[in-house]
Amino acid sequence: MHVPDGFISPQLSLPAWAACAPLWTWAARRHLGRAAVESLPIIGTLTALAFVVQTIMIPVPGGTSTHLVGVMLLALLYHPLLAFLCESLVLAVQALFFGAGGVTVLGVNALAMGLLGPLCGWLAWRALRPLSERAALFAAGWVSTQAATLAVVGALALQHRLDPGYFPMPPAVTLAAMMLPSLAVAGVVEGLYTVFALSLVRRARLRGVEG
Amino acid sequence: MASRAEPGAGRRLLAAWLAGVFAVSALRDARLLAGVALLALLLFRRGLARNLWRTARAVGPVTLGLSLVSLGFLRLTAGAWPPPEPYLALALRTGVIGLATFSVLDRVDLLRALAPYPTLSRLLVVTLAQIHALRLVATESREGLRSRLPRRPGALDVVRNAGGITAVLFTLAARNARDISDAMRARGF
Repeated sequence: MHVPDGFISPQLSLPAWAACAPLWTWAARRHLGRAAVESLPIIGTLTALAFVVQTIMIPVPGGTSTHLVGVMLLALLYHPLLAFLCESLVLAVQALFFGAGGVTVLGVNALAMGLLGPLCGWLAWRALRPLSERAALFAAGWVSTQAATLAVVGALALQHRLDPGYFPMPPAVTLAAMMLPSLAVAGVVEGLYTVFALSLVRRARLRGVEG
Repeated sequence: MASRAEPGAGRRLLAAWLAGVFAVSALRDARLLAGVALLALLLFRRGLARNLWRTARAVGPVTLGLSLVSLGFLRLTAGAWPPPEPYLALALRTGVIGLATFSVLDRVDLLRALAPYPTLSRLLVVTLAQIHALRLVATESREGLRSRLPRRPGALDVVRNAGGITAVLFTLAARNARDISDAMRARGF
C-alpha cells in the first residue's frame, strides 16, 4: 500500500509534508506535551507494536501474501490522532532504518495510512457500534484499509493528472491494481484481525494489564 | 559492516541526502536521470553490489509490476505501445533514490547523528528496542503456530494467531513502557 519514493513529485510531496507538520505538532502536544517522560515510552512501545504487527504476513491464494496494518487497533483503543502519530513514526523508522517506503513520500503515506484510514475506520465503528460491536469492529478494519488504499490511489491519480510524463500509469490501472487486492483480501483480513485482536486485548486488559 | 561517519559528518551527509532525494524526485527526463544514476554508482562504490540488490528487492517489484500492467493496458486500449521514456525515467528515479538511501544509511549512525535532539533520540531508542523485543516474541509465536499444525498455516490460522500475539505483545508493551518510564524517572529525566 505504501507509495515508494520517486512515484510522487515535490509538487505533491511537499504540500503533503506541509499538511502533516501541524498535525504532527498537534498530536505531539496532545500526547507528548504534559508529561513526556510518561508518554515517550508508551508512544515508542505502541509504535513498535504497530511496526511488528505490520511484519505479520498473511498468505493469499495464488502464492503471494499481504500484511496487516494494525494501526486501526490503536485508533480504537486510544484515539485516531495517536494512531496517526504512531503510524507516522512507523513510516519514519521503516524509511530511515529499514529502507522501506520513503522519506520524500512520508507525508503522503502518513496522511493516507495514518490519518484517513484510521479516521474513516473509527467513524465507521462509531456509527455501527449501536447495531453490533463485532460487525462494527470488522467494518472499522475493512473501511480503514479501503480508505487508505483509495487515498493512495487518489494521490497517484492526481500525480498522473498533474504530469503524465512523470507518473505514466493511468488512474484506471492504479485503481484496479491497488483496489482489487484491497477489496478482496487485505480489507477482509484487517477486519477479521481487528475483531480477534481487540477482543483478546480487551480481555487481557480486564485481567489487569493496566494495573 | 562499513565504517560509519562521525556525528557531525553524519548530520551533513543526512542533510545532503535529504536535499538530494527531494531534488531527484523532481527530475523527469530519462537522460538526465541516467546521468544522475551513473554519478550515484560512482559516488556509492563502497558496498555497491549489496545496496543495488537491496534497492532491486525494495523498489523493483512495485515499479516493474505496475509498469508492465500499465504498458499492457495501454497497448490493449490504445492499440499501440506507449512511449517508453516515462517508464524508464520512473524506474531510474526510484532506483537512484533507493540506492542513495541504502548507501547513506550504511554510512551514517543515525542515533549518534540525532544525539543533539534528545527527545527524538529517546523516542527512537525506545521504539527500536521495543521493535527488537516484540519481534522476538512474534517470531517465536509464528514458529509455535507452525509446529502445532500438521499442515501449512492458512490465512485464517495466521489471523487468529495474530490476534493472540497482539494481545501478548500489547501486555508486554504496556509493561515495558511502564518499566522504561519508571527507569527514566529514576535517572532524573
